Amino acid sequence: MSVLNPIFQVDGFSLRFPDLVEPTLRHITLVIHPTERLVITGPSGCGKSTLLYVLNRLYPHNCDGEVSGSVRIFGRLAQEYAPGEVNRKVATVFQDPDSQFCMPTVEEELAFTLENLQVPRQEMPQRIDRILHLTGLEDLRHGVIQSFSGGMKQRIATACALIMEPECLLLDEPLAHLDPLTAKEFVSWLDHLQQESGIAVIAVEHKLELWGSFFDREIALSENGTIRKDQLFTERDAPILPERTSAIRQEVLFEASDVCVSYASKSILQNIRLQLLSGEITVIAGPNGSGKSTLLKALCGILKIDAGTISGMRAGFVPQSPEQLFLSKSVEGELAYSGNSSTEKLHYLMTALDLESIAHAHPFSVSLGQKRRVAIGAMLADERQVLLLDEPTAGQDLKALTELHRQLTSRAQDGCALVVVTHDMNFAWHIADTIHLMKDGRLSLPFQPEELFSNSALLAEYRLHASKKGGYHAPAFA
Amino acid sequence: MRRLLHEMNPCIKFLAVTVCILTLAFFFNPWTPLLFFAGVVLLQLLFSQTNWKLWSLAMLPFLIGAFGYFWTTLVFGEPGDGLVLWTIGKLDITTQQWELAWSLSLRVLAFSSISLLFAFTTDPVRFIQSLMQQWKLSPKLAFSVLISYQFLPVLKTEFEQLQQAHRIRGPGSSPSAFKRITALRRLLIPLLAGAVRKAERAAFAMEARAFTGEARTHYTEVKLTRKDFVLFSLFSLVLSVSGSAVFWA
Repeated sequence: MSVLNPIFQVDGFSLRFPDLVEPTLRHITLVIHPTERLVITGPSGCGKSTLLYVLNRLYPHNCDGEVSGSVRIFGRLAQEYAPGEVNRKVATVFQDPDSQFCMPTVEEELAFTLENLQVPRQEMPQRIDRILHLTGLEDLRHGVIQSFSGGMKQRIATACALIMEPECLLLDEPLAHLDPLTAKEFVSWLDHLQQESGIAVIAVEHKLELWGSFFDREIALSENGTIRKDQLFTERDAPILPERTSAIRQEVLFEASDVCVSYASKSILQNIRLQLLSGEITVIAGPNGSGKSTLLKALCGILKIDAGTISGMRAGFVPQSPEQLFLSKSVEGELAYSGNSSTEKLHYLMTALDLESIAHAHPFSVSLGQKRRVAIGAMLADERQVLLLDEPTAGQDLKALTELHRQLTSRAQDGCALVVVTHDMNFAWHIADTIHLMKDGRLSLPFQPEELFSNSALLAEYRLHASKKGGYHAPAFA
Repeated sequence: MRRLLHEMNPCIKFLAVTVCILTLAFFFNPWTPLLFFAGVVLLQLLFSQTNWKLWSLAMLPFLIGAFGYFWTTLVFGEPGDGLVLWTIGKLDITTQQWELAWSLSLRVLAFSSISLLFAFTTDPVRFIQSLMQQWKLSPKLAFSVLISYQFLPVLKTEFEQLQQAHRIRGPGSSPSAFKRITALRRLLIPLLAGAVRKAERAAFAMEARAFTGEARTHYTEVKLTRKDFVLFSLFSLVLSVSGSAVFWA
């Protein structure tokens, strides 16, 4: 333990949100010292992010929660600080890259932080220069933030947090929207920064395998919001998902040949060829912005294709936020919406997708996993046997991934053809019959998972990294 | 020279525009708005880099509106007891009507030209910064406007994504034009829910960056210079010259 004064001292802290019966956090007691690298883990909904928001004092101040116990930040009780005051020393990077900026350019955004701190104008340029140099973002100084990719936005958000010269940096699932290599690059970049600046780093994270040996301490929360373990961090392998046997039948359900899509005279998809068999699970992987989502939309007919042909069964689309599809007031109504299925078929789908218990619930009010099942049900009830799923794995914990795996496996056994777009190479390895890679609007030929994951040159070219499965050890990312 | 209007202090420009619009409201002859319109376009021609194609496009709805005023005043206006200028069918057009019609429609053009001048030469972010610095607008209010400005493109993308997702659900029943409009209501709820979520996140992000809504320093100083007063006088000149039409027209 460090001899320095602790940054955070949380003592018997519990928090209950006013609209919930059960407390979200229970009897949390922990001490965090300067320069620690700590990760908070636990299943979805266990209060990880809430704990992070307690540390930066956004909660309980902004949620009217019922609180017991105490939180001391730099030795002073959290409630004694004015709003925003403690955030000069405790900086935060949030999960959603789209809603944490308020100025158009990187320079102005950095200046926004300095203006908040009432740094004199004369000092600002030097501090901006210094942080841009430290974070290696010099070239982006006058860039428009909204035009950057998710990975870049997370780096900019981190730079905006670090320019405060904080003593502690909080990160809320910073890798959730990044492709594997971008995520790894972010981690090694952060590693370097932490060594330079010596600040404490506290992160909430599901995907520990992407962090290597970055952390030195782990706090695991259990489902009911108590601390389950407070231990030294050990490097993780990707979690083991169930094995599945392929359910491919030699019947072509869907075929796209030479599909091209352009938007505003810029070519987005070029000569896409894709053949899907009944019972086949196909994974499409590739870097952020390579055209994966556009491809799915083109295949299911949302986007007009400029050239090429699509034949076979109609394809259904399940967006990353499945509620985008919902049009009815109940789960039942959602499945029946198209009117293309008989009552028996609907009944079968409700049972198969395990939706009976929520048949009358409003589709917006159920959990994310349930929403995705409702969306799948709606597509199947509309006689769309080819399902295209956009990023179903983003931000999902192991339990949710296992449930998704089970769901996809049984849909394949029913004879559907499934296409899954994902950044999660471990999931891809466990679920895929075939993998296509995508880059700059071009789709590769199909690969067998074994063949792909042993070819590190190919992986690096598509900004992926090998997952570890069974006895196979992938080389460190290039 | 060609950047002068863009560089002008937005607060002073806003003041000039407001004064012009309020003053013009008291002039009922057709010459004042006509001269003012010409003056504004001249100022914009001389001291700004305007995309005139875009300007014409933006002007088009106002032009149609102006024509509407013109026509309805001629047809439906009180004939009064002026001289009859023309007779079209049963319609007598008197001098009084003729003048009133011109005055109303030219007014529309005058108001729209000065508004467009402001819109085309002012950067919204700089305008807000200037409001904070010159007129002590509260940072809380100012940044809520700035953030919503940042959110517009995000909301647009989200709207498109919702529309696309709904397209795949098919028409349900036959899509009449009316049905399609009522279907927009379904887009609105998830869109608003998303906006509320985003607004909360943005508020958190700002507080986490030590934004308190209290006094702050400013990185970009929006200054008041002599140029601003010269330009303000130019606007006043255009206004007075066109206003003087009352005496000689």
